Parts: sequence; structure tokens; C-alpha cells
Amino acid sequence: MNDLNAMLAPLWERFLDKLPEILTATWETLDMVFLSTLFSMLIGFALAIVMILTNPIGLKPCRSFYSVVDFVVNLLRSFPFIILLIAIIPLTRLIVGTSIGSTAAIVPLTIAAAPFVARLIEASFLEVDRGVIEAARSFGASNAQIIFRVLLPEALPSIILNIAVIAITLLGYSAMAGTVGGGGLGDLAVRYGYNRFQLDIMVYSVIILCVLVLLIQGVCNFLYKVMR
Amino acid sequence: MIQVRKLGKYYGTHRVLTDIDMHIHKGEIFGVVGHSGAGKSTLLRCLNGLEPYQEGSVRVMGTEVSSLDAAGLRQLQSQMGMIFQNFNLMARKNVYDNVAFPLLLWGRKDCRGRVMELLDLVGLADRAKQRVQSLSGGQKQRVGIARALALNPPVLLCDEATSALDPQTTASILDLLDDINRRLDLTIVMVTHQMEVVKRLCHDMLMLDGGRTVAIGKTEDLFLSPTRAMRAIVGNEFTLIPGGVNIRLMFPRDISQQSIITRMARELGIDFSIVGGKLERYLDDVFGFLIINVKEKDRETVLTYLRDRNLYWEILDETEQGLSGDSAPQTAPGEAAGHE
Repeated sequence: MNDLNAMLAPLWERFLDKLPEILTATWETLDMVFLSTLFSMLIGFALAIVMILTNPIGLKPCRSFYSVVDFVVNLLRSFPFIILLIAIIPLTRLIVGTSIGSTAAIVPLTIAAAPFVARLIEASFLEVDRGVIEAARSFGASNAQIIFRVLLPEALPSIILNIAVIAITLLGYSAMAGTVGGGGLGDLAVRYGYNRFQLDIMVYSVIILCVLVLLIQGVCNFLYKVMR
Repeated sequence: MIQVRKLGKYYGTHRVLTDIDMHIHKGEIFGVVGHSGAGKSTLLRCLNGLEPYQEGSVRVMGTEVSSLDAAGLRQLQSQMGMIFQNFNLMARKNVYDNVAFPLLLWGRKDCRGRVMELLDLVGLADRAKQRVQSLSGGQKQRVGIARALALNPPVLLCDEATSALDPQTTASILDLLDDINRRLDLTIVMVTHQMEVVKRLCHDMLMLDGGRTVAIGKTEDLFLSPTRAMRAIVGNEFTLIPGGVNIRLMFPRDISQQSIITRMARELGIDFSIVGGKLERYLDDVFGFLIINVKEKDRETVLTYLRDRNLYWEILDETEQGLSGDSAPQTAPGEAAGHE
């Protein structure tokens, strides 16, 4: 028993010592994930509306325009995130004035996730019963009314589930951003766990990341159940 | 109310409607029948501008549909309610919200009274807060009808409105439509493949096959003495006896005439077999149908006897049996339908 205490004591001391840093890193991660989810939802939603309008089976089909948007979305989605992160550093500087820190990481995170969001929301829109859309049309609904009063409310539960997918993906990406100076839990894990062999700190950050994933999924599942 | 002239429609190069002419009067129930893929639903969608057409003219309440701009079309659509085979309700919303939906689209904020009035009309006033998902098919269609009538349109379009329902529920929905038609002086256009629905409810009808008109006119007249082309689509309701002569007799209104067959057998001293018989309801009238089979040698005596009686009758050709709309009968026609 004493041996165990002797073993755990320095770990506990280090935990208390590093706690402020762990909390800061957690906050940075939350900050990055929340803001990039928000921005990518906004951009992705706008893109999804353009896509559902111009989709060949959409509300106002325009094949040529759709194929351009479709191509750009696919292109952005095929970029490995770590490469996108570095490749758009000039753009990041232009937008937020710096390429280091968690604020800077929001730019590549948003750009990586927006086309993904657009695809998921478009898919949610396409899932809406076409009969319901036709019914709305038969009462003289305009395209804007169909999008905001039929598609959006009908697709909302499925969009909520997609938000969970996106937030969790961004959580993973944000850990990657940490390695190039983005801050956050990924940064913490690499700096202490990998560079200084303080495995306990790495374990803490992984545990926190796990809790965050479970939390995000849990909240979204709950909302889905309530709305459905 | 609705006038269609020389209507033609293509999907790309594929022709779906050819030379359709019809005139639907205010307050009538008009049926459009035919097999699946005959172009019925497409025709219906041309009436309220959900589908564009390339040839001819569709005039609704005096307005040429193809001449309308987007806003004009939406205005017209608000004047034509529509109900669907699969109800097309918003599944996650409750009954009230579904019925209120068209009213909200058209900016009527204060619609509570109107919605409750509509729910009362279709007999669902006590279900206002219930989710649409939890309703039965018949109740869903009632919600659909209430929603379609929300904007108080003079025309109601029904696209296979009873095809997903069981016979009892179908009957109750048809009663409701009949009632609404009388009470609100609503013009109803019913697209269906169910002949019973047309017979029961429609004053006039148009039969389509392959996008072309097969028959048009008063429902009763068309079914009591169907043309050969129409018979090919409707098909024989009974399996005929091979050999001999199969004769279909129709007894309008006065059921007592049914004893005519036994009397005939007695007077002529012939034998006959009964192939089948049934009663059918046309609007508010009931007609009896009897199909009998007599021997070939008695053919002329029987026909002469029938000609002297006030009866609808016709000879059924067993080779026509099970014919679908697109294959033409091979043999020469039998006796044409006689009616005096």
C-alpha cells in the first residue's frame, strides 16, 4: 500500500502542477471546436442551399452550376487536413492576422469542415419526402418557403445528428492543429506525452477528449430523440 | 371551370400526353381513369402548373396556365387544393400544424378558427394536437383534405387519393368528398385507377391509355355501354365460360326486371348458366349486372328476345379476357351493345 502511495504521489503532484495548463488546453480545444463548428455550419448551410436548389433533382435545377459547386466541394474534401492546415497559412494570416494559436486554427478547421457540412446537409435535405415538397408546391409555396418552412424543419433531426459527426471530426482535427502551434489538448498531449515522456499528461488529455466526444454525441442524440 | 384543349406533353422526347380535350364544369366531380403510367397524374399536374406542357391549352377559371409567371402560378395553385395517394403530410408535425401550413404560407397569422373549422369538417376536431405519424391512413387522408381546403379553393385535385386505403376507409373518404362537393359546391378532379371510385363518385369521366383519350362522357353511359377500347382497359370482371355465348345484362334502377331471365328461359324453353352477377353503385343509383351463358344454337332466339325488352345488354367476347390496354383484340367484334 505504501509502495502504491509512493508511486502515485509524484503523479498526483504533477497533475496538480499541470492542472491549470490542462484546463487552458481544454478551453482552447472547446473554443476551436465550437467556433469552427459554428462557422462551418453557416458556410456549409449556405452551400447546401445552393446545392439543393441547383441539384438536377433539386428545386431549380441548373446542371452546369451544380457540377462546379459539386467539384469544389469534393476537391476540398479530398485534401488531407494536415496538408490543408499548412497550405492555407497565408490565407489564415490574412483573415486573423496570425498563423499560430487556437484562433488561427479556426480558419483551416472551418475550411476543412464546411464542404463536409454542405454534403451532409444536402443529403439530409434530399432525404426529405419529395411528396411533402410537392404538397407544399401545390399550395403555391415559393422555393424560399420550401427551403425554410419544409426542408429545414423536416430535415432538422437528421441535421442535428450530422452536427455531432462534424463536431467530433473537428475535435479530432483540432488535436492535429495542435501539433502546428494551434494549442489545445492535442498540443498538450504531444508536448508532454510524446516529447517529454510524461505519459500521464497524455492520458489525461485523451480522457478529456473521450469525455467531450461522448458529451457531444449524447447531447445530439438527446435532441434528435426529442425532435423526432 | 377547367377547359383543356389539344393538350400535349413531353418528357424530353418521350410523349406522355396526346391531344387531350376535356371540359370540367363548376361543382362537378370529374374522374380521370386509366392504368398506371397512362398519364393521369401528369394530366392532373398540368392543371395546377406543377408540370409544364408543350402543346395545346389549359384554362383554369379563364386563365391560361402556361401564360402565368411564377407569382401568378402560385396564386393559381392557392386556388386549387390537392390531395395525394401517400398523403404527403409533414410526419413530425401534429394535425393542427399540418392543416395550418398553407394558411401560414399565405401569411394568415390568425388562423386558429379556420383550422378548427376545417378539422370539424373532416371529423378530426379532437385530434388537433396528435402527431400525424400516429394516425391511421384514413385519418391521414382526412388531414390531407382539410389542408387542401384550408385556403378555401374552388377546385380540389385528388391524385389517387384512395389507392392506399382499404375498401371501408375508401368508402368513408369518398363519402366525405361527396359531402364536401355538395356542401361547398367544390369542383373535384379525381385521378384514380379504381373503377369503383369513379362509378361511385364521378359525374363525368375521361379514360386515358398511353396518354391518349379512350373514352370521355357521362360515367353511367360509358360503363353501361362501354366501347370496345374501353372494355379492353376495364377488363371482364368475371371469368367467362368457354364456348356458347356470354351475355352481360344490366338492370338500371328497377330491380324487378331481374326475373326477366327466368321468364325468358321458361318462354323460350332454353337452358342458361350464370357466370356471375353483382350490384354496382353509380352516384346515387344502383345497377344490377348479370352475366349468363347460353348455347350457340340459341343465340339468335335469345338476342331477338332481349332486343324486344328495355334492357342494356351486350355480348362478351371471351378472347378479350385479361387483355391489357395496349394489346388490341384479335377477333371480329360480336354484337354491339344494344339499348332501346
